[in-house]
Amino acid sequence: MDLGAITDLDECIELLYKRQLLPEITLKALCFKLKEILINEPNIMQLQSPITVVGDIHGQFYDLIEIFKIGGYCPDTNYLFLGDYVDRGMFSVETITLLICLKIRHPNRVTLVRGNHESRQITQNYGFYTECMRKYGNATVWHLFTDIFDFLTLSAMIDNCIFAIHGGLSPNVHTLDQLRLIDRFKEIPHEGAMADLVWSDPDTESSGFSLSPRGAGYTFGVDVVKKFLSMNSMDKILRAHQLCNEGYQVYFNGLVTTVWSAPNYCYRCGNKASVMEIYNKDQHYFNVFDEAPENKDQWPKEDIFGEVVGGDTANAQHIEYFL
Amino acid sequence: MSYFVPVRRILTSEDMEKWQNGETYEAIVQFVEELANSVVGKTNDAECNISGVIQGVLDLLDDVLNVIKSHPVADKTSSRFGKPEFRDVYDEITDRSQDILARRLPLEQATGQIGAIDELCVYFNESWGNRTRIDYGSGHELNFLCFLLCLKRLGLLESSDYTAVVLKVFNQYIHVMRVLQKEYWLEPAGSHGVWGLDDYHFLPFLFGAAQLSTHKHLRPKSIHDPDLVEMFHKKYMYFECIYFINSIKTASLRWHSPMLDDISGVKTWSKVSEGMQKMYKAEVLSKLPIIQHFFFGSILKAPEGCSPPRKTFDNAEEGHTHHHDNDSDEGLPEHQHTWGDCCGIKVPSAIAASEMDHSPRPLPFD
Repeated sequence: MDLGAITDLDECIELLYKRQLLPEITLKALCFKLKEILINEPNIMQLQSPITVVGDIHGQFYDLIEIFKIGGYCPDTNYLFLGDYVDRGMFSVETITLLICLKIRHPNRVTLVRGNHESRQITQNYGFYTECMRKYGNATVWHLFTDIFDFLTLSAMIDNCIFAIHGGLSPNVHTLDQLRLIDRFKEIPHEGAMADLVWSDPDTESSGFSLSPRGAGYTFGVDVVKKFLSMNSMDKILRAHQLCNEGYQVYFNGLVTTVWSAPNYCYRCGNKASVMEIYNKDQHYFNVFDEAPENKDQWPKEDIFGEVVGGDTANAQHIEYFL
Repeated sequence: MSYFVPVRRILTSEDMEKWQNGETYEAIVQFVEELANSVVGKTNDAECNISGVIQGVLDLLDDVLNVIKSHPVADKTSSRFGKPEFRDVYDEITDRSQDILARRLPLEQATGQIGAIDELCVYFNESWGNRTRIDYGSGHELNFLCFLLCLKRLGLLESSDYTAVVLKVFNQYIHVMRVLQKEYWLEPAGSHGVWGLDDYHFLPFLFGAAQLSTHKHLRPKSIHDPDLVEMFHKKYMYFECIYFINSIKTASLRWHSPMLDDISGVKTWSKVSEGMQKMYKAEVLSKLPIIQHFFFGSILKAPEGCSPPRKTFDNAEEGHTHHHDNDSDEGLPEHQHTWGDCCGIKVPSAIAASEMDHSPRPLPFD
């Protein structure tokens, strides 16, 4: 495979573990390669235990590395990532690039599900666009990444009994067959099944569907969860999408579980994070972790923003206000 | 002038254009500029005249603090991030705001009629965060600014009050917000993370830079000196913000706040001050995700020709009632659904779902 300036995938991965940015031309080749893999993935990936489920990461690169340290590196551990790789954190570009490389290198051992932040509209508002501009000096790589997002799968099924998704249920999706029929190769729409799947949240106060206070998706209660599980012969639902203080939160006696994998979110929330290690149909373990020690180090500026790649990193948009 | 309860009107980029060329936008920009000018060279403890209205607003902020005190967080161990007791605080503030505003401020109101107080209450109630999502952002901060701007337009604040508005009232508002954010773990939901100025606030940086803009010795790079931050955080809002961020964030400032780090490279505080005002216009007042929640009444008028007020849901249709929440995004175009009430649970009924299908809708929160 021709990777432009860097020709070897393992070399890319090695650089990325060291948090180095790849040249734009290499990213282009990687995204092309990834597209070939993702386009053949169904809307519901069939997976088997043992597997480790990861929630939101939001560009917290060192905390992703922490996950590999405590949970095992690829391909020794199978990983199901539930989306929200980018926005807010300092290293969304490095995070998504590493995940892309790992997916291409081990396509059957790494699964990347789409989150609500894997979207053009959301990334323009919550940091990823700014970060791409800052680290590459132009919007090309942002276009490359967001084009890839359109190909990410929407959900997974583990051991035919655990349903995993970024957000949650949709009043438009009763059966898994309906989910299989969604045309997912597009920007996340404002409404409808695809939007709900990445935006919805569980709700302990009402048993059915209500409009979500987020302004997209729904909140879903215990009755619709039971209905969905029984109609589709599933045991439980795993999802991410919501910050929880202990790194995970169990709803409805275990029918729904939230997994959150960004510790000390935004460097201020003080929350723990977790990954959910699924050993078989009945056994799992929440591997809870705190933020990576690197986050507390003092860093020189050059070391945070990396080497200039095809652009002027000092050319931050916002600084123009102050000239 | 006939008063009416403010409503949201901005939905599309065409609306935004009208808004940015409109009178209310201009009034806010000017108000911010005049407030900033009123504190140039002044420290937080500078002498200023406390009028009856200023004292009234300070008393209102005390009232809010007292409401907070009466709703301690019961379960500190729950994994939910935002603490649900915030909703009780929000409800008590909204339930009582008519009364406490009437008590603290010289507002006439004929019973049974909609008056200035009803308009003021919307901005006041929206100043503390979102009840349902339990979060806070610069849009909520903007509501408090609008509350103050309404007081000005009602003739209750004069330009001679501005120094006190910033140094006393606004500073105390930030104090109340820090208490709310800390006590109830308000989520920084609209935050751009490290790619924004701050998770929650903008204006204390803007006013703070104005305070410092004529300082003879302090430079923007002083924010990196822990001794200077320690020495000046009580005197200047900007240093208070830095002090607060350092106390709450674990990484180094360079890492968690690269924008503040960049700004510290600007040569003079007066450049920072000018830049903050430009940036406030561009990053807050010109951002659809924020302005789509802006409320327009008779005091702060909607630009002509923008989208009609959004319909709101009749909550009873959802089979349960909950507290009215101005900012809950009620009235968004309903999603089409096929679930019906097959499991015995009513889903919210569609309001003209077919017509709404192609209509624009606000950017969701996350």
